Amino acid sequence: MIFSAFKKKKNFRAQISPSEQEITINKGETLLSGALRSGLAWPHKCQVGSCGTCRCKIIDGTIRPEIDFNYVLDPADVASGFILACQSTLKTDIRVSVNLNQ
Amino acid sequence: MKTLYVNVRYLIVPVMTVITISGLYFGGIYAWIGVFLFGLNTIIDTLTKDIHLRADFDSEGNSYGIKAFQYSVMYLMLPTFILLQIFLAYNLYQFVSLEAITAIELIGATLSCGLWAGLGIIYGHELSHNKKEGFKVSRAIMALSGAAHFTYAHVYNHHLDLAHEDDPATAPRGRNVYAHAWLSHVGQSKFSYELESKKLKKLGKYFFSIDNKWLLGYLYSLPSIILFVWAGGIIGIFALLLVWVISNFLLEALNFMGHYGLIREHGKPVEHRHSWDNDNLFTSWFFIEIGRQCDHHVRGETYFWELDDVKGPNYGIGYFSLFILTLIPSLFRKFVQKHLDHWDEHYATEAEKNIINDLYPTLAGNEVASS
Repeated sequence: MIFSAFKKKKNFRAQISPSEQEITINKGETLLSGALRSGLAWPHKCQVGSCGTCRCKIIDGTIRPEIDFNYVLDPADVASGFILACQSTLKTDIRVSVNLNQ
Repeated sequence: MKTLYVNVRYLIVPVMTVITISGLYFGGIYAWIGVFLFGLNTIIDTLTKDIHLRADFDSEGNSYGIKAFQYSVMYLMLPTFILLQIFLAYNLYQFVSLEAITAIELIGATLSCGLWAGLGIIYGHELSHNKKEGFKVSRAIMALSGAAHFTYAHVYNHHLDLAHEDDPATAPRGRNVYAHAWLSHVGQSKFSYELESKKLKKLGKYFFSIDNKWLLGYLYSLPSIILFVWAGGIIGIFALLLVWVISNFLLEALNFMGHYGLIREHGKPVEHRHSWDNDNLFTSWFFIEIGRQCDHHVRGETYFWELDDVKGPNYGIGYFSLFILTLIPSLFRKFVQKHLDHWDEHYATEAEKNIINDLYPTLAGNEVASS
């Protein structure tokens, strides 16, 4: 039991704002893939990080960017927490803002 | 057993590349083995043109593909393709400095190397969609063909602008593969240059910077240039140029075949109908499912062993067979016209039909009826 504290966490939680839904993102899975798997109508198009349709804003928590977001997003937006959901895996539980009604 | 079958079937290129390298090592008639294998594959591909399989999943929908195994193979292809160039350089050294092999053997070795370096693009392509270290391995593999710009252009240009006029990799109707190879290569490099310029400007950095991936990509090709100059001097430069021309021609031929003549309305999502599938048995296994373009362009980061037949536009023959047709433009145009007619009638939306009529008012067979 004591060793369970050293076990790596497999999944993370993502709280979606403003719809206040909560989904589970598997380890290594992108935020977009997890959202689509959970049935959310997350806006998306190319799924390879080139169109920017899946952009969203991290309010709390940390992600691991799979590519350099500066090709698609403005550096000021990246600095203020905007990410591409299709190119983001989670490092912690997160709270993220996205308009699901696009 | 099924797991073994699903994973081992994608080892044709690795095995044949090693055989080609062995041919370069043993020399003599064996230097031509890469050319022979290419011809043999064309025959097998043509003979198996009517065998089409679906992707393999278990009863719960899980793929039999083993990611760790397939990725290990793809990563190992980088040192394998480096070895291929080293052994061609060894042949050059034998020809220029030792006069130990004939010009015919050197030509065979160079053609073999070019053809199999060109087939390496299937790994460069697959890894370009898998970020972090996979992306870097992709760049390194493409740099061996002087085409490291491909990795960025493919993701940020081709996947976004597919079937638009502003995608250099999509061939418009009427263009032949020879013109496309040049225009697509230069167009993608230009896109990558502009992408980096814009990014660096946004970040307030100089164009000549270590963050300039377009420049860095060409620098990654420097070791190949140094190796070939060292091994063969001026003949070495010509040999490397020939390898690069052949490998880039194969790369652009794949782009040519994958989307020839297809149309997409600006701003509309990419759908299955915006690509041509080439998915007979041999092409699927040999080209690690790169021929399942319809599924790939809709689910861009799906592992190749999970791509499936989505009943999109399909040429009905494999890449090797179609490649031979593209080499004779008049023959290719005749072959492709019936497929384009079918596409226009059964797949194109009204808006796409209008674009076709605007773009190709004079091409025979392109009077597309709007309902």
